[in-house]
Amino acid sequence: MAMTFAFRVLLLAAAVLMLWLVLSNIRRAKLAISDSLFWFFFAAVFVLLALFPEIAFWASRLLGIQSPVNLVFLLIIAVLIWRLFHLTLRLSAQNAKIEDIAQRMALDANERESKQ
Amino acid sequence: MAKTLIIIPAYNEAENIVRVTERLIRDFPQYDYVIVNDGSRDDTARICRAHGFNLVDQPVNLGLAGAFRTGMKYALRHGYDAVVQLDGDGQHRPEFIADMETKLAQGYDIVIGSRFVGAKKPHTLRMLGSNLIQGFIRLTTGAKITDPTSGMRMFGARMIRTLALEINFGPEPDTIAYLIRSGAKVCEVPVVMDERTAGQSYLTLGRSVKYMATICVSIIFVQWFRKKVNLQKEANTAWL
Repeated sequence: MAMTFAFRVLLLAAAVLMLWLVLSNIRRAKLAISDSLFWFFFAAVFVLLALFPEIAFWASRLLGIQSPVNLVFLLIIAVLIWRLFHLTLRLSAQNAKIEDIAQRMALDANERESKQ
Repeated sequence: MAKTLIIIPAYNEAENIVRVTERLIRDFPQYDYVIVNDGSRDDTARICRAHGFNLVDQPVNLGLAGAFRTGMKYALRHGYDAVVQLDGDGQHRPEFIADMETKLAQGYDIVIGSRFVGAKKPHTLRMLGSNLIQGFIRLTTGAKITDPTSGMRMFGARMIRTLALEINFGPEPDTIAYLIRSGAKVCEVPVVMDERTAGQSYLTLGRSVKYMATICVSIIFVQWFRKKVNLQKEANTAWL
């Protein structure tokens, strides 16, 4: 299936929704700008593919994928998996940090108490 | 007379911290200082304790922005009117703090120690980034900041609460640009900086790319959607 007009509008709508979500959360001081960078680029890719579907056609021919839409799906899934993995890494690092902080605080309190 | 606090963020600065701090104590006793050890893996904290330095020892690494904010919270708790960041590697010279204080007394909120007031920038990749950020700040705020990435910045009393407590106010050029848009008065004073003599810089090449992208997107795009900061707001007393 080619990239239909409806599909391109869908991509654009998704990008707008994404931008709105990200910006409103930055506005409410719930999202760090450094963390929002990925979403801006992700939305930009959506817009690019919606405005210039030739990119998807060209890339799908290059990779031997029958339909450009499938390439768009594949791209989105791949990017999201990559992102998910990085978030998992960050989560692990954060868990380790929180554990370390809690343990140090508890050990410090114990030292203070036993000195008294 | 307003009291100035010097924040010294230190990450793995065991080789530099004694030289930097002892010079401060010996030659500039009029300033208070606090070393924020950013979860160093080397002996930074132990050395500071052994010398009796004023140390806030973070148990984990939070990055330069996090360490700076720890210092800002210290300033908030102790009621300082002015805060200046001096890097733990000694590249920022304390003799320029007096000039910065003068500007603050004239009513400025932020004073940046600039290497390039009336001086040309060298043609390096780093300075290309600096020029780009300078251009974007000029474009969006009209302000001419010749050294936006200088870490040697002084902040006045109105800035301390915001920088200590609010998200997305790290000590970076986009924060400066955003504070200008919120009504803060910013100026620069010429300073000379030394090359770091030992230890590792915070900014690696991989991080630099992400840094540049974040700062640029923040200055040219995100800031139009952010709420303006209320510079008059008092700090939550839970922090005092």
